[in-house]
Amino acid sequence: MDEKGRALSETVWTRLDRKAGAIVELTIRQLRHRISTWVVFGVGMLLMVMLLAFYIDSIRDDFDSIDNDGDSEDPDGDGYPIGQENKYGTDNYNKFSYPGYPHFIFENDIDWNDQPRTHTGNHTWVNVVGYFTPTWINYDPPIWDQWSETVAWNDVEVCSDENSDFDSNLRWGTACKFDNGTYQMYGIGFIAEGTLEVPDGYSASWGRLTDYVEIDPDPASMYIDEDDIDWDFKLGTSSQGFDDDGDCLKIGWIDSQGNPIQENMDQNRNGIPCDVIWTVNDLGEIISISADSSVDEDPDDSKFLGESSHRTFIIGTGKIAFVMILGLFLPLFLALGLIRDETENGTLHYLLSKPIHRAEFILYRLLGYLTLVGTFVFIMVFMMSLVTSVIGPGDDLIRLGDFPVWLGIAFATILVLAAYGAVFNTLGLISPKYGVYICIIFGVWEFLMGLFTITIPNATIPVLSVSHWGIQMIDAVVLIVWPDTLQYQEMSSAFNLETGISFFWHPPVHTLQTGNPVVALIVSIVLLLVVTILMIGMSQAVFRNQEIM
Amino acid sequence: MSVDAVIPTVLMENTSKWYDQVIGLNDVSLAIDGGVTGILGLNGAGKSTLFKLLMGRLKPSQGSVRLFGIDPWKDTSPYRRIGYVSESERLYDWMTAQDFVSTLARLHGMTREEANERAEHVLRFVGLHDVRHKEIGKYSKGMRQRVKIAHALVHDPDLLILDEPLHGCDPIARTSIMNVIRELGSQGKTVLVSSHILEEIERITEQIVILHNGRLLALGNLHAIRGLLDKHPHRIMLTTDEPRKLASAFISEKPIYGVRFPDDGKLEIQTNNLSEAHSVLPRVIVESKIAVTSIDNPDDNLESLLGYLVGGDT
Repeated sequence: MDEKGRALSETVWTRLDRKAGAIVELTIRQLRHRISTWVVFGVGMLLMVMLLAFYIDSIRDDFDSIDNDGDSEDPDGDGYPIGQENKYGTDNYNKFSYPGYPHFIFENDIDWNDQPRTHTGNHTWVNVVGYFTPTWINYDPPIWDQWSETVAWNDVEVCSDENSDFDSNLRWGTACKFDNGTYQMYGIGFIAEGTLEVPDGYSASWGRLTDYVEIDPDPASMYIDEDDIDWDFKLGTSSQGFDDDGDCLKIGWIDSQGNPIQENMDQNRNGIPCDVIWTVNDLGEIISISADSSVDEDPDDSKFLGESSHRTFIIGTGKIAFVMILGLFLPLFLALGLIRDETENGTLHYLLSKPIHRAEFILYRLLGYLTLVGTFVFIMVFMMSLVTSVIGPGDDLIRLGDFPVWLGIAFATILVLAAYGAVFNTLGLISPKYGVYICIIFGVWEFLMGLFTITIPNATIPVLSVSHWGIQMIDAVVLIVWPDTLQYQEMSSAFNLETGISFFWHPPVHTLQTGNPVVALIVSIVLLLVVTILMIGMSQAVFRNQEIM
Repeated sequence: MSVDAVIPTVLMENTSKWYDQVIGLNDVSLAIDGGVTGILGLNGAGKSTLFKLLMGRLKPSQGSVRLFGIDPWKDTSPYRRIGYVSESERLYDWMTAQDFVSTLARLHGMTREEANERAEHVLRFVGLHDVRHKEIGKYSKGMRQRVKIAHALVHDPDLLILDEPLHGCDPIARTSIMNVIRELGSQGKTVLVSSHILEEIERITEQIVILHNGRLLALGNLHAIRGLLDKHPHRIMLTTDEPRKLASAFISEKPIYGVRFPDDGKLEIQTNNLSEAHSVLPRVIVESKIAVTSIDNPDDNLESLLGYLVGGDT
């Protein structure tokens, strides 16, 4: 800038500084000298501090890993987590059934009408009904939960004559011994070598019991966050996701009989077992996610839950605490009386006996108010953004990526404050006596419309409110700064991970059919400015014709 | 200069202002230019209404108001040349006088530095220079009144309007404010100052406008109006230890036609030529060698003047 230019700009600046600066300055100082200003600032600050405390206390805690699929638990107390028991086909709710425990491997049986009805061998016999003449007996069989009743070999009663057949007197699971060394078995399991004779109409099975293998229990932590969402979204392929922990593919898994498991592993029916389908629209945004069961089902919480809870907190704070609460209460206390209070205090004439147009005066008054509340909002936003971005999830020391969102929240709040300030000032001018009541009714309407906008973003009626457009601005800024928020939202429903992000955030609606968040942002800004300007114009028209007694 | 000579500073033509059914100002026409003019009237006579019309705070119901030829309701440009001290006693108590005056000076388009300089200057002029950095809330009534005057003077206006500037001030403040007003008048500025106390105005100016019930009752030189009044029965109240002895000394004097003893230690002398009575008064008292502690003119007030002017009893 040359000398002349600098001189010119200095002139323009000092000219502006004179009247506007004087009134803006006076307004700020006046507001600063009112107790109500500090009360409302104090309450606003308290709200933010409480939100931060809530954030630090609960959301930060939730970043600890969560066992989303519950497979790290050990309900039967056998020391093996569910995830590990599933691999070995053992019973999650039976403490005598755990990995490494012997399996019975079936070899053959004599059914009720099979021929011949005798069999000789060294076996593990189960559910035996018949006469067994042993040559060798394993008197100390391993503990196995699927034994039918077994024999107390050293204390078997002697069979009486009446026991010669299986008609009536024998109970299931009992045995007796004849003098010749033959045992009569009724529903018994045991390990022995010898000859079994099964009477017609009865049955017995035999096979082999695997050896007991000592398998170390896995630590529970192995089954927490063990199947993360596979983030690296690749354009052009809809099949994403990988079964990191193998609990969908189940390779090498056996059932309780020791047989390999065969299951349908393609619930989303894309021909690829154990994957996740990510559907993308033209803009590259993920619009739906469909996962095969047990794929990506236990993601890294600090990555998903942490991140999306963090975003939910910022979005919720921006919409409710900043736009709806600060947005309404600051102007109610600070803007309503911008002109009215001067009239009531009898000090307006000092200002209006100067060569300044009343219309100009209103504008500068509002500017003064906006400077003060704007500064307050920036301080609050700075405080919130600093704390949350330092302790928020992620490996970086500070989440720099959050700041543009916070900045967007600050601007949305300030535009809303300008619009409400202009509205409330006008109402205070039109009806000094009842203006405050009209403002409260208006405030309730705005608050309800804000809530409507959050829950049902494409409802029509909230379009008639200021808060709707402020909230829309935040929705748009979020999508611009964090385009993957859509993905988080879809993931939360696809993987059943409720974080509130689907409640607090929706893609912006007013994109003029382009789907582009920048359009929604511009539309919202323009509408908020139009409301502000219209309201200022209205107050100017009212004030110009008002007699000051 | 030539423009100002043709267009009077203040011009009202058939101006009326009524609030619903109540008449504030009724068909007033006047032109004021140069020097100090006192606007006299009882409470509710229309003084403040007149000033509010001039300051564009009210819109005339009928007729027109012009300041330097411009309608103040529509255009704020005359205020560049006007200073206004309202009757309202409210101020920004949390501000210092320096802040208050310089902030308002900036509304005249002065830079911060100019405004500060000018504020200091006018605060010195009204005698508040030493306390200019104190909060206005801590000021006495007279000091507050002077802050208001200072703010009105900060841009060196051609027309100064003061609504009851002496109201509620103690005698010292009164004197210093009167001196300020006289000083401004002698600088050739047009000053309008309202009061409901005749004596106050008399000490400041001879040019007066009398309002009564919203009407313009008299306009002109106070002495001329006063002279008319002098020819009417008047009372002079003297306080002395020997009222009866003093009465005998007065009774032979020509302008005095009666005496009365309304109270212990009081002598009331009656005259129909006030100025002549006042001229003999000192001589008689000196010659009688009787100590007189006070002399009071209970009839020398606006009520009596108005009573005379409207021709009724007050």
